[in-house]
Amino acid sequence: MSDAAMAPSDGVVEGEQMSGGQTTEQRAAARGGSAAAPLLEVDNLVKHFEIRGGLLGISKLGAVRAVDGVSFSVTEGETLGLVGESGCGKTTLGKVILRLLPPTAGSVNFEGKSLFDLSSRELKAARRDIQVVFQDPYASLNPRMSVGEIVGEGLYVHGMTNKRERESAVRDLLKRVGLNQQHIHRYPHEFSGGQRQRIGIARALALRPRFIVCDEPVSALDVSIQSQVLNLLSDLQDEFQLTYLFIAHNLAVVKHLSTRVGVMYLGKLVELSDADELYQAPAHPYTKALLSAIPVPDPTVRRERIVLKGDLPSPANPPSGCRFHTRCPMAQEICKVEEPPLRDVGGGHMSACHFAEEVTPLGSE
Amino acid sequence: MTLTARSTGPLLEIRGIKTHFFTQDGVVKAVDDVTFEIGHGQTLGVVGESGCGKSITSLSVMRLIERPGRIVAGEILLNGENLLEKSDADMRDIRGDQVSMIFQEPMTSLNPVFTCGDQIAEAVQQHTAVSRREAWDRGVEMLRVVGISDAKRRASEHPHQLSGGMRQRVMIAMALSTDPDLLIADEPTTALDVTIQAQILEVMRELREKNRMAIMLITHDLGVVAEMADEVVVMYAGKVVERSDVKTVFGSPHHPYTQGLLLSIPRLDERRERLQVIKGTVPSPLHLPEGCLFKRRCPHRMKVCDTPPPYQEVGPSHVSRCWLTPAGEAPDVGADATGPEAEQAAEALTVAAR
Repeated sequence: MSDAAMAPSDGVVEGEQMSGGQTTEQRAAARGGSAAAPLLEVDNLVKHFEIRGGLLGISKLGAVRAVDGVSFSVTEGETLGLVGESGCGKTTLGKVILRLLPPTAGSVNFEGKSLFDLSSRELKAARRDIQVVFQDPYASLNPRMSVGEIVGEGLYVHGMTNKRERESAVRDLLKRVGLNQQHIHRYPHEFSGGQRQRIGIARALALRPRFIVCDEPVSALDVSIQSQVLNLLSDLQDEFQLTYLFIAHNLAVVKHLSTRVGVMYLGKLVELSDADELYQAPAHPYTKALLSAIPVPDPTVRRERIVLKGDLPSPANPPSGCRFHTRCPMAQEICKVEEPPLRDVGGGHMSACHFAEEVTPLGSE
Repeated sequence: MTLTARSTGPLLEIRGIKTHFFTQDGVVKAVDDVTFEIGHGQTLGVVGESGCGKSITSLSVMRLIERPGRIVAGEILLNGENLLEKSDADMRDIRGDQVSMIFQEPMTSLNPVFTCGDQIAEAVQQHTAVSRREAWDRGVEMLRVVGISDAKRRASEHPHQLSGGMRQRVMIAMALSTDPDLLIADEPTTALDVTIQAQILEVMRELREKNRMAIMLITHDLGVVAEMADEVVVMYAGKVVERSDVKTVFGSPHHPYTQGLLLSIPRLDERRERLQVIKGTVPSPLHLPEGCLFKRRCPHRMKVCDTPPPYQEVGPSHVSRCWLTPAGEAPDVGADATGPEAEQAAEALTVAAR
């Protein structure tokens, strides 16, 4: 086992370098710093995708900075929601945590062990604990495998080689996620979108994981089906003491399921706070604009609407200073030059804005 | 587009249209006896989940139904003229001139090999006798109207050079370049991020005020409907199940499906510990249940629901396709009524307007 894997994980890591405009204390605070040891700790994670070009396609032209120095922690049993618009890096972040993509820099610790320093045997063991539910229930299931094979594959890989035993385990799982046990030999195309997402959830549950990354699990589903799947996810969380990282672009869905919510913009975490607090008293102008942009399903409510100017800048060439300054209604001179650190603005509410204290609640003007 | 037509009657009247698809596996009644109208300058929201027939309804208005689909019955009156009796040539003149349409995916609706300016100019030239030059200038002007900065430069760019939000603006610019009476917008913001969606809705609102244009807004997003629409039509499995003004539909919905939909969405402004769900799934269009199409998922299911429910008036200009009385109780004919007795009751309750 490597040294990093043996490092203590009490929320404060000593002797680290300054990076990303944050001090060690700030990052430790961002990770929660509460008494309970976090299950998952993400520290200053960076993921850049190189842009190559030239005659042989080997000269480096730059990099898409998909995730650019993100730190947070997830406590056992909680749901951390991650929201942001397309291109903010939320899915890439999830994939790096799952080790489906190699990181450029930074670390992810699961129960104090660095996920990036594991031997292949240790990694296989870790993958029992960390599972994923993907967005697209059509693309994430192999069309040539039956439901029994899809859900049971993980069990087989991890040593349940007896076919009968495996089938009975799969039947239990299907029942648990609300599918007909008789359908074990059917193929994905025979199911509706909502049912497929249940298959994906059963597959994620098969190895009794402790932590599940849910990447947009309901965004491809119809409203009436979406609520069924959301309820299933919260029932399973109670039953199996699961911890979720819930990635979605729909703020209402994220708020419904999450204990705490992080908001991402162009590869950075710009705000992180308790779910209710985030919605009642946002401390970052981007969060506020995002909240105000969501149409309320109530025609009698006329809410303040902050319409952001322009489009999202390219993550290959992010703006200087605060990345949001090009669209921010509160931007000042300092925002163009100095990148604001993610700091505690009171009671563990983290915001990366120079003027976090001046952000007013929605509808107060 | 004559002034006299504008002042009398609704702009668009859809009367009992049925659009069926004759597939190898059987007849799919994608739109089955749908009736509603849109007044001048009004915005009608059409909501429902995938497969409820909302998009097919709009394509029927545009007469863009392809085989094996066919409009088998009904009338579509635009300014009093039945579109179903028009020749193909006449329809080409009407499309884009009196009625324009924007689609969900702006990338697939724009031609990748022509510049945005060319595409708008083409639409303008199709419907007005102007020179190429004037048409191009009109295109640039429209791009400016929909809020594209540096419109002149953008007009000579190709669709792939623009972001999703800008492409949708180009689509809107093209649709509005001929000053249509009716804009059909089929999920116009579904593919966009919320902050960009807010921009697009803002543009649509402004243009609606300015041009006194009617909008038929098709969406599954109840938030967008609440914000944009004057009237709402709720569709389920090819039929209109409820219809009223936006405040009534959201404030006191009558049909159990509408109620279920509104309760099942997570809300930002309130904490719901558990979401209410509509159990089950939408029935297969090839095997629709007898009687009420929603009965298998309905919490109020009664025996009488095996007979097709009446389309009854449950309040002032508020209609609902359900057996429950306006107060939400079992019908006078009785919850267990069956056969001819129930059928007669349904007929008697169904609104006379049809």
